[in-house]
Amino acid sequence: VNVIKGAFQAMASLRLTVLLLALSMVLILAGTLAQVNEGVWSVVDRYFRSPFVLIPFQLFIPEKIARIPGVLPFPGGLTLGVLLFFNLTAAHFTRFKMSWKRSGIILSHAGVMLLLVGEFVTGAMADEGNMTIDEGASSNYVEDTRTTELVVVERAAGGDDLVIAVPQGHLERAARAGAPISHALLPFGITVDEWMPNSRILGPMRASDAQRKKADSGAGAQVAAVPAPIATGVNGAEVDSPSAYVTFSSAGTKVGTYLVSLYFDRPQPVMVNGKQYDVELRFKRTYKPYTLHLIDFRHDKFVGTDKPRNFSSLVRLMDPARHTDREVLIYMNTPLRYAGDTLYQSAFKQGDTGTILQVVTNPGWLIPYISCALVTLGLLVHFGIRLSGSIRRRTA
Amino acid sequence: MSALQRVFPWVVGALALVYVVLIAAKPEHTGEHWREYARIPVCADGRVKPLDTFARNSMMQLSARQAVRTDGRTESATEWIVELMSAPSKAGARNVFRIDHPDVVAMLGVADAKRTRFSFSEVEPKINEVFRQAELAEQTSAKTRDPFQREVIQLANRLSLYIRIARMETPLMIAPVNPGEEWRPLADVVQNPALANQESAAAVISILQARATSDAARADTEAEAYNTLLRAKIPHILDTAEHETLFNRVEPFYQSSVLYVLAFVLACFALLARQGSAGGWFTAFNRATLAAIAVAFLVHSVGIAARIYLQGRPPVTNLYSSAVFIGWACVPLALVGEWFYRFGFGTLAASLIGFATLVVAHNLSSGGDTMEMMQAVLDSNFWLATHVVVITIGYSATVLAGFLAIAYILGGVLTPLLRGEPVKTLPRMIYGVICFASITSFVGTVLGGIWADQSWGRFWGWDPKENGAALIVAWNILILHARWGGMVKDRGVAAMAVFGNAVTAWSWFGTNMLGVGLHSYGFMDSAVFWLVSFCVAQLAVMAVALVPIPRWRSLQPAITPPETAPRVVVRPA
Repeated sequence: VNVIKGAFQAMASLRLTVLLLALSMVLILAGTLAQVNEGVWSVVDRYFRSPFVLIPFQLFIPEKIARIPGVLPFPGGLTLGVLLFFNLTAAHFTRFKMSWKRSGIILSHAGVMLLLVGEFVTGAMADEGNMTIDEGASSNYVEDTRTTELVVVERAAGGDDLVIAVPQGHLERAARAGAPISHALLPFGITVDEWMPNSRILGPMRASDAQRKKADSGAGAQVAAVPAPIATGVNGAEVDSPSAYVTFSSAGTKVGTYLVSLYFDRPQPVMVNGKQYDVELRFKRTYKPYTLHLIDFRHDKFVGTDKPRNFSSLVRLMDPARHTDREVLIYMNTPLRYAGDTLYQSAFKQGDTGTILQVVTNPGWLIPYISCALVTLGLLVHFGIRLSGSIRRRTA
Repeated sequence: MSALQRVFPWVVGALALVYVVLIAAKPEHTGEHWREYARIPVCADGRVKPLDTFARNSMMQLSARQAVRTDGRTESATEWIVELMSAPSKAGARNVFRIDHPDVVAMLGVADAKRTRFSFSEVEPKINEVFRQAELAEQTSAKTRDPFQREVIQLANRLSLYIRIARMETPLMIAPVNPGEEWRPLADVVQNPALANQESAAAVISILQARATSDAARADTEAEAYNTLLRAKIPHILDTAEHETLFNRVEPFYQSSVLYVLAFVLACFALLARQGSAGGWFTAFNRATLAAIAVAFLVHSVGIAARIYLQGRPPVTNLYSSAVFIGWACVPLALVGEWFYRFGFGTLAASLIGFATLVVAHNLSSGGDTMEMMQAVLDSNFWLATHVVVITIGYSATVLAGFLAIAYILGGVLTPLLRGEPVKTLPRMIYGVICFASITSFVGTVLGGIWADQSWGRFWGWDPKENGAALIVAWNILILHARWGGMVKDRGVAAMAVFGNAVTAWSWFGTNMLGVGLHSYGFMDSAVFWLVSFCVAQLAVMAVALVPIPRWRSLQPAITPPETAPRVVVRPA
């Protein structure tokens, strides 16, 4: 019993709070510096939402000054967040008595705990993607620009197309293992010869013969893809454009080696057993129960410059199941909240021919609002009580 | 207190006021008639501004100065730009291109290479070579460019700006005076000769033609007539332009930084007087400091108010204005501390921070127009007014706590200045400011999260700027918990508060330096040096705090002679 009590008291100690805060600061700093060479999403996953992270020492020293090998094993954001949560909980059970004097602290600590929960919920459940709509056209799906999928489409005359999607993770694993991907629904086996997380396309004039020969069929017979450095967090809106060399084979015979790439704007036909399939590498799609039709996209610039002054999208929101059919204007700082999703004006297609909306699904979006109100109120109450006490002492 | 000591603060305050009034009423050194040219409204970077502002900003970009000095004669920026537009060959002899790198100077083949500013006619023979070198340099990524490459790209950019002005492609000079018209550059007249009949175009052309033929008197009359026309057609635009030229001429932030220096000197005298036996002089100097700060703060406030009025925006819209605002917010905070404890350190910190932040702001202004238009996503007065202002106050308070802590550590260890009351009260003041900093930086960060959630659906995205804010909140909270847990006392809190300066500097500037290329203008290169130096200096002060308490000079008892001679007691055996 004493051991448990001792452990509980250690868990509740202020020293642990200070230690955890200090470790969090180191983690945040490392997670910021890591974004110089790495995309923000991979940093968020590896540093802030994982239990454990290996921080390279090199992060803290520019390579120009010294090359330092080695990594520092460090608790990740998940570990620190959970520990802080228990530290706070334990502190309230052991040390704090309920009293008016303590009410501020209790309020703000409850808020902090809720904030930690909120970030956990967001990490676990939030989803975001882009919906690109051309003027005069409609869309009912969002694309996740952080990950891709290889789709094989079997066109059906007059009916629904059959779409088989292979997620990026499978492609990466297949490239590493060298093993072909096969599935009952897939009309052919897929071997990933080379996977490029980010790439550039070399046109027919710039690609060497050897580069062009990597693919023997489809668009890749004329052009080539070469790896490019992945987009980093500090450069803002950059997005990786993967490419891959894939070989299709059916019943032991090779159909052909194709280059699939996010750069290609239309699917490539593949003939297998006299049947045509369309193959395409594209951003991962998620279909929505509603459809948006873009009526008008506006892009105002400051006079005499290219600096955007305002974007707005006038859309028609259609959702037969919910009996919804109305016009909505989505613009900067004024999103549309609908069916658990929030749609923001995010960007636009070149030449202002279409809009790009960011669609976020986050069941926990309200949590930070509540927690922040709690913390702020708590801090004001606490320091208010302290300050009035200190002024009373001075005047006394 | 003697009569002199009582009058002294009033005299200081009055002199400071007189200084400000004299500056505001100061005539244009190149002659009053230039005011007519200076206030002509033009449009550049999407903002309507007086020609004076455009000329000054262009001049800053070309030569890091607001005036041209050639052969001992100084020209105002307006004078220079009018000359460049009307008589480019004459203007070509003005030394306006700042070039520091010796290899770039050597490339020009200029004989007198000791200067750092060169004229267009000196650069012109090698202009193709400059653009070729810049194109080569552009092919290496921004991170790996060497100083020569950076300088040659900068020179190419400066040349482009210069040529665009000479060709009258920028700024847009043809003001819309009739319904349906838009701002257009004079260069458009070449393609569309009919445009020359538009009232503004005709007026500007005749001004420039008169100056081209050196008919200064006629040009002055034309300029005056043009402004009269605009006053009739677009009075509010002309009014704003006129007020902005006044703002440019008075340079309120420069004047207030001068006054903060004066206040700092007075505050130092106050501390010295406090140390000596001259108690009356301590009060006198401290009040004089307060008077100087009051005037400086007044001018500082007027400057901020003027920017709000001219821009139609809350006070903080970019890095430059955040520096101006941090100083402004620190001053009253420090004075509240002074009002509580009255020992001269609040005024010392106020004057020092006021001055330092304005110097930082000045160095940030070389990027161009400091009242630039906002990117669409930032175009929200509500969030600019709440999130940005509150978080900036949070940064200010953290910095104030840090500076007070520096005063406590250096003053306490190295000098006897803190002896007595201050050594007890200064830590309380530091603690109070940290509490305030914790609330404001937390609330500010949270408001930023809410803005982000409203704008793109992500309350927290772990991007560098957000992480910077989180670090400040975490550090302030950490200090408070360490103190509440008894892990640190006065000395420890002070040392940690000093580290808060480094954390703030990182969040404020460091995060902007990560994305080289995004901010690849000259300042950020040297800024890395200053940032590192600043952080090293903070660590050095923290090291000083390690001196054991008994060795602190302010904590050693004053050596006073015993009041009575020791009595010799003879005990009977």
